Amino acid sequence: MSAGGPGGEAASVETANQVDAKGIGIGLVGIYIAAIAADADIPYLIFLAGIGAVFATKMGADAVRRVCSYGIGTGVPSIGMLALGMGLISAMFGLAFGAMIGVSYVGPIVGLVLAIAIGFVVGTLANKIIKLNIPVMERCLMEIAGAGVLVLTGLSVMIAGSMDFVVISEKVITTGYIAPVFILGALGILHPFNASLGPDETQDRTMVHALSCGAIAMMIGGVCSIAVIDPVAGIISTVIGLAIWYVTFMGFVKLVKRDAGAGWVGTGLLPPGAM
Amino acid sequence: MDPAMGMGLVALMGAAATVAGCSEDLESDIGSQSNPNSQVQLAAQVGYPHRIFNKAISGEPPSNAMYCAVGAGVAMVLMSESVMSASPLIAIAIGAFVAALLNGVFSTTSYLGRNASQTRFNQYVYLDVLRNQILSIMGHAYIATFCIVLISYVMWNQNLIGHPFPFPVIALIWGLCVGAIGSSTGDVHYGAEREFQDFKFGSGLNAADSGNITRFAEAGVRSSMDNAWFCSKFGGPATGIAFGMVVFLDNWRSTAFTEVLNGWGAVIAGLLIVLLLVVYNRKIETYARKKYGPFPEYAGDIEA
Amino acid sequence: MSDITIVGMLMDNLPSIIGIIIGGICIAVGVHFVPVGGAPAAMAQATGIGTGTVQLAAGSGLTGLLAAGYMYMTLSAAGTPGITEIVLICATGAVGAMIMITVTMLVGNWVYIYGVGVPPASAKRDYDPITGDPQAPYVAPGTVGQGIPTVCFVSGAIGGLLGGLGGSLIYCMLMWVNGDPAISSIFAIGVFLVNAVLPSYNIQGTIEGFHDPKFKRLPKAILACFIASLLCGIIAVTIPSVAMLTGGS
Repeated sequence: MSAGGPGGEAASVETANQVDAKGIGIGLVGIYIAAIAADADIPYLIFLAGIGAVFATKMGADAVRRVCSYGIGTGVPSIGMLALGMGLISAMFGLAFGAMIGVSYVGPIVGLVLAIAIGFVVGTLANKIIKLNIPVMERCLMEIAGAGVLVLTGLSVMIAGSMDFVVISEKVITTGYIAPVFILGALGILHPFNASLGPDETQDRTMVHALSCGAIAMMIGGVCSIAVIDPVAGIISTVIGLAIWYVTFMGFVKLVKRDAGAGWVGTGLLPPGAM
Repeated sequence: MDPAMGMGLVALMGAAATVAGCSEDLESDIGSQSNPNSQVQLAAQVGYPHRIFNKAISGEPPSNAMYCAVGAGVAMVLMSESVMSASPLIAIAIGAFVAALLNGVFSTTSYLGRNASQTRFNQYVYLDVLRNQILSIMGHAYIATFCIVLISYVMWNQNLIGHPFPFPVIALIWGLCVGAIGSSTGDVHYGAEREFQDFKFGSGLNAADSGNITRFAEAGVRSSMDNAWFCSKFGGPATGIAFGMVVFLDNWRSTAFTEVLNGWGAVIAGLLIVLLLVVYNRKIETYARKKYGPFPEYAGDIEA
Repeated sequence: MSDITIVGMLMDNLPSIIGIIIGGICIAVGVHFVPVGGAPAAMAQATGIGTGTVQLAAGSGLTGLLAAGYMYMTLSAAGTPGITEIVLICATGAVGAMIMITVTMLVGNWVYIYGVGVPPASAKRDYDPITGDPQAPYVAPGTVGQGIPTVCFVSGAIGGLLGGLGGSLIYCMLMWVNGDPAISSIFAIGVFLVNAVLPSYNIQGTIEGFHDPKFKRLPKAILACFIASLLCGIIAVTIPSVAMLTGGS
């Protein structure tokens, strides 16, 4: 599955460092503002955690894009499943660690650091022991696992309306809303590149698509939170997610039109020469 | 629980699973999802542009897990007392509808994205292909999701089977399972037979013909809807039987034999089922070898 | 609440960590047994099941996990399950995964035989190691085998057994630690995925079963999964249950 230019680095307009900085920066800031506001009895800002998750999704999707332009042997989805598996455990450990030492605010940062560490170890295992020999493997696994933590933490905080592990455990895990969050987070990171696979893939199109996938996750997260926290806060998150989705989806369609050029046709037979 | 009631539930789940499996496979055939997708993707690159729907949503198991988990999550929101205490059937129907909408969004973006990424090979983005197939894809996804969320609900409900996992997690697992089964059984019928119907029946795809998919129909250019018509004759129902058998056999042995030998009865019954399947597989293998015989092109010196 | 320390939890849960590592290694070995042909198999171009390694392993292993979860609940009605109960739970999970994978392979063979019209044959060996049937004459020209011959079928059943066993064992170990089926199930899924993806890189996506030359790469995957599951295990057992955080223990 290396149709995006086998064996080479993908062409980028936005560098990896810029995407990472935005993903981690906006991700953490969003989650923290949301959680602090929620603790100060202003639940209506909780949607900011979802916006953080949207940008984290973009960061993960960019990492998938870079690593999958090398052939990794088993298709695009597996690497995201690997990273999200690690991300899930790290995210929950971070939150639980915060609860254990009584300072719940350290949760997301502990989770992020841990995920990056495990991502590094697993990336090294894949390169050194299993001998995949993909130069960007370590870095990309660190990024995808980190993005996974931010997406899962952001959406969990948004659904539960708190950063306290006890609350999240009761409202997100025991109820099972973690399942849609987990798989939508995974698909948000995997789908953008997978859906744009091909030699004429462009970074800006894939990235807009990543934002729109993140917005879908935020929307469904908002729907889930209606049942467990203040319904108004849940509806605000849903509506904002819907708005972001609409804007980014329309932007995606516009970029498809741009990239397809004369190939964007209403109907018609096969192109000349192919009939 | 009353044993007769338990058996009834298991039968109901098996029936729902059969419908789900069939519908799931047809959904992926119309969209050319999963492994046969690689040929659809390759076709344009080797000079055969086409009008087949090309969608890939991160592999069939994760995408189906997504529809089912979302369907179950939404259903659970609607059923919760703080929202509207909706009746389970309505809640599951609405949940499956939301999942089908997501399926539509993801299918649209992957059709547009993949074709736009192949512009240099003259692969066009046909808007009528998108409009014509998308509702059928969403419809099949709706049926599959509805049935699987229903199975998960029956398993999770404390008055019925009472499984300890949360409702959306059960749905996620069954979604992964149906995707894995669909892509390993029914999709072969699409990938190995329908996609390459121009070639002689009775062999797999010769590597030299990779990408040369059948692009023309009996009249005109082939559309993905024709593929669903073909696969619904065999590939789809076969997938349905497979998923129905998994759900039925697995639940049947745990429901009927859990009390036997302190629980070991269920294990032994399961092992017997596996043994029977191995024997049956050997039967059809020898049947096929006898019936079809060795390939005439074979030039080696191993006696057939 | 202050008496929960990470070191303390690690010491208390040492058996659980070991169990998670064993489970992870079982999954890694199981993935090597499952005959997956990847995308070429879906075009009857290669022997094995026509799907991805991870997906199939996850599909079967997690189906087993469902059966194991139900059995755990039934047995824990009489108190926290001990070693004998865990053996039964893992056996249940393993058999559940075996049923899933054998049914899939059987129906897959129906499609190959009746739908595509090919006899199952392996290209990696001239003779089937179990039945002794010659394989090469039945391999279609231009392909590397098709369908699931007996040796792959048996290998796949063993793979399902190990995958289901590993998944169930991890679930049981996590239940020992936190006693909450919701947390344990979702973590078991996470650990399972990590341990299923690493071996699938090791076999580069396709393998025919234990008779495939790629099977010799197994030790590398075991080493990688040992380290990965050790890490996952250490983290997973230090996540306390809600009861421990609120009720205090």
